[in-house]
Amino acid sequence: MAHKYHILTSPTPARFKPITKAGIIAWEEGCLKCARCVKKDCVYKVYEKRSLDSRQMLDSLDTACMDCFRCVQNCPNRLIQKSINPLYKALGDNYWTPEIIENIWNQAENGRVPVSGGGYHGPFSGPGFDAMWTDMSEIVRPTRDGIHGREYISTTVDLGRKLMSLEFDSGGKLISSPPPLVEIPLPVIFDVLPWSPGGKGINLAFLEAARNTRTFAVIHQADFMTDMDEYVPNIILFADDDVLKLSKEMIRRLKIIELPDSGNVMAIQEHLKKINPALVIFIRFRLSRNASVRAAALAKEGAEVIHLTANENGMGKAEDPLFIKDRIRQIHSHLIEAGLRDEVTLIGSGGVAMAEHVAKLVICGADAVAVDIPLLVAMECRVCRRCTEGISCPVDLENIDYAWGASRIRNLISGWHNQLLEVMGAMGIREIRRMRGEMGRAMFFEELEKEIFSGMGIKGLINGK
Amino acid sequence: MKKTNAGKKYAIFFCQQIDKNQDVNRRSIEKEFGPQIRFFPIPCSGRIEPLHLMRAIESGADKVYVVTCPEGACRYREGNIRARKRLLYTQNLIEEIGLERGMLELIRLKAGNNYTVDKLTRELLG
Repeated sequence: MAHKYHILTSPTPARFKPITKAGIIAWEEGCLKCARCVKKDCVYKVYEKRSLDSRQMLDSLDTACMDCFRCVQNCPNRLIQKSINPLYKALGDNYWTPEIIENIWNQAENGRVPVSGGGYHGPFSGPGFDAMWTDMSEIVRPTRDGIHGREYISTTVDLGRKLMSLEFDSGGKLISSPPPLVEIPLPVIFDVLPWSPGGKGINLAFLEAARNTRTFAVIHQADFMTDMDEYVPNIILFADDDVLKLSKEMIRRLKIIELPDSGNVMAIQEHLKKINPALVIFIRFRLSRNASVRAAALAKEGAEVIHLTANENGMGKAEDPLFIKDRIRQIHSHLIEAGLRDEVTLIGSGGVAMAEHVAKLVICGADAVAVDIPLLVAMECRVCRRCTEGISCPVDLENIDYAWGASRIRNLISGWHNQLLEVMGAMGIREIRRMRGEMGRAMFFEELEKEIFSGMGIKGLINGK
Repeated sequence: MKKTNAGKKYAIFFCQQIDKNQDVNRRSIEKEFGPQIRFFPIPCSGRIEPLHLMRAIESGADKVYVVTCPEGACRYREGNIRARKRLLYTQNLIEEIGLERGMLELIRLKAGNNYTVDKLTRELLG
């Protein structure tokens, strides 16, 4: 059996105490001096091990408490109270919710998948990715060998252009030359960040994690430094500056170069291919209303990989009202109609915040997904965007140790990989390449709603009259 | 900021009930003063403890402010009263070891006004 893809994890504690959902407010005055104080009964010994982080002025009471409410309920004089931490509520924004951020922090710390034990309280649908439900029909029983055991579920994808047929000469010799392909064991690459504090530690952490997980990280041409030299096999160089500035030697060493879309992008691709025929070229552009037309045109002209980007909330250009999953579905379907879909690889990025979003984008038609902000959140980013205003980062991301960052990212990606296996196992799909575009195995809330309710109130629909 | 205040380090503990949008409002101050000023938003001023204040002084603050809600307006009923008691207690402690009482100061807001953290800070430093 083929070697199983597995990401090694190691617990990597945060440098700063995380912002927790609830905080304890304990009045010390008015204590009845009970013989047996409720604080002594804490199962987690939170009160006994109490300390203060003077850098953040965070009490270990808040960070270590597991919210069991035992002390709150049992103090006879009701001196202990718990409240929702306002700082927690202020984390992130409407899209990057405190729950998402907290989940990523936890996964980055220990590499375990998030589990909520209290049942699912809903809501059962929401905007964006939440308006999509994946088929879980195969979840009826655990497989005999377990999806993390002997049963092999492949998450490998190929990036590059594919041939639709092979041609042989009369002697049976292959005459068609297959275009270069790059194989990654997980349909995830690391994208450039929409914003981040300075410091090269962040990029180095991305690259080190990409190398460890055997995937790629997109690096701006201008950000490439000599100390990234050893990571060249895991770099996708985004030539957004001037591709002609790249040395021939560099082009020969790189496996993938990403080009911003332009009128002469195919000519540049040809130029680069002449220097290094084994190079895979990505063409990157922002999702918009005419993205499917453009994608089809590029695919027709011989594009290998099309990288479609949305903003951090999964939306395309300003005038584009469609969320990334809907836009990618449209592009995927358009390419199928044009008979071009299987020739080209599609990568989607923007707004991917959870492991399930990777699976959902693949179901909507992307071959792979590029992730950005979650990688920064793995390194404790609070999505406060202070860096965009030139204010110093509250968690000092400028000065991180890249090995620490890489370990956190690796933990997160391991958690995501395991969740991807769970989703695929539940769908009964053992090969992620088979899951791409499997929209029949998912339900889309808006469409169901339309199907059921659109006929309501229309005269003549009842009883067929 | 006045010249006399130049180079001084400030720590400001404030109750987050004062300004619901404190995270955004305090950014202009953070940008202007950089590491010279540090904000510690707390869920209720009653959450403050002598140790917090001592640690703030220990980590180099020249002046520590504790900003509380107006009396009678505490969300947790008596948090601001407790904050005052604890501040007085800490003032006595630091005086004993030879520091000025004035290093710690309680700011109790007046009822009926809407405060934002940035305006408040400018007033304090003004």
